[in-house]
Amino acid sequence: MTREQYLGQLWDLLAPVPEKQRKEWMYDYEEHFRVSAELGRSEEAAAAELGDPRMIAKEMLLNYRVDQADRKSGSITLVSRAVFAAVSLGFFNLIFVLGPFIGMIGVLIALWAAAVGVALSSLAVMYEGLFGSAFTSVQASFIALALIGLGMLLGAGVHWLTRAFAKLTLQYLKFNSKVIRVKKG
Amino acid sequence: MNVQFKKGVLDLCVLALTAWEDRYGYELAVTMSAKFEVAVGSVYPLLNRLTQEGFFSTYLKESSEGPPRKYYKLTALGHTHLMGLIGEWRSFSVAVDELIKEGVER
Repeated sequence: MTREQYLGQLWDLLAPVPEKQRKEWMYDYEEHFRVSAELGRSEEAAAAELGDPRMIAKEMLLNYRVDQADRKSGSITLVSRAVFAAVSLGFFNLIFVLGPFIGMIGVLIALWAAAVGVALSSLAVMYEGLFGSAFTSVQASFIALALIGLGMLLGAGVHWLTRAFAKLTLQYLKFNSKVIRVKKG
Repeated sequence: MNVQFKKGVLDLCVLALTAWEDRYGYELAVTMSAKFEVAVGSVYPLLNRLTQEGFFSTYLKESSEGPPRKYYKLTALGHTHLMGLIGEWRSFSVAVDELIKEGVER
């Protein structure tokens, strides 16, 4: 692989990373080819020494994803991206990590749906109170208020659970990959 | 060597290389790759991460033959971290040696 090909491929593979940071990362690889050339080595030899750009890019992406998730701790979206980056690197056994992760995401989605459902059911109660005969509109508004409250309570609980799960996953990811250490200060 | 074990040790080694003198990326990457089974290309992300964590600072310095090179300098925080890692490593290797003596070389 020539210098052009190598750097081009690496640049493309790092597409998810913002341009500024990507340029910073690329600098080291450009310098590698430069110093190699100064020492009289061929571009092919320098590229071979660096290693497969696909693997390098995956490693860098995992670094980036874990760092992003770490900055906004508790974001399940960012944590998911880090999990997928780790799996793509072959860090984890797909079945034992990705399986439970997706299962847990499913449970969280179901709980969210339940919270929203309970809150929305207040609308049906109000409708029944106004136009139906099951209970009066005063009774209906009390029930509706209780349901909204319950929905909010449930929502808060699920929100907490989601964040806790995201943090736990991130910690597991960091522990396993050792890509990032605890930041001091 | 076990990959995860190696990753922790790589930090220690690359920090150790810069304890007495600043070195440029290529030098560090090639030295590390010669000692351990890592691709030269995966040492650069390591340097980047250690810089981000504040253990290295970087600067550009002119070289005699051509464009400037990026040098890595161990910071005070990096020095403290390195000493901590060395301490951990020493007690770890002493323990392993003791167990090898006890179990194998008796």
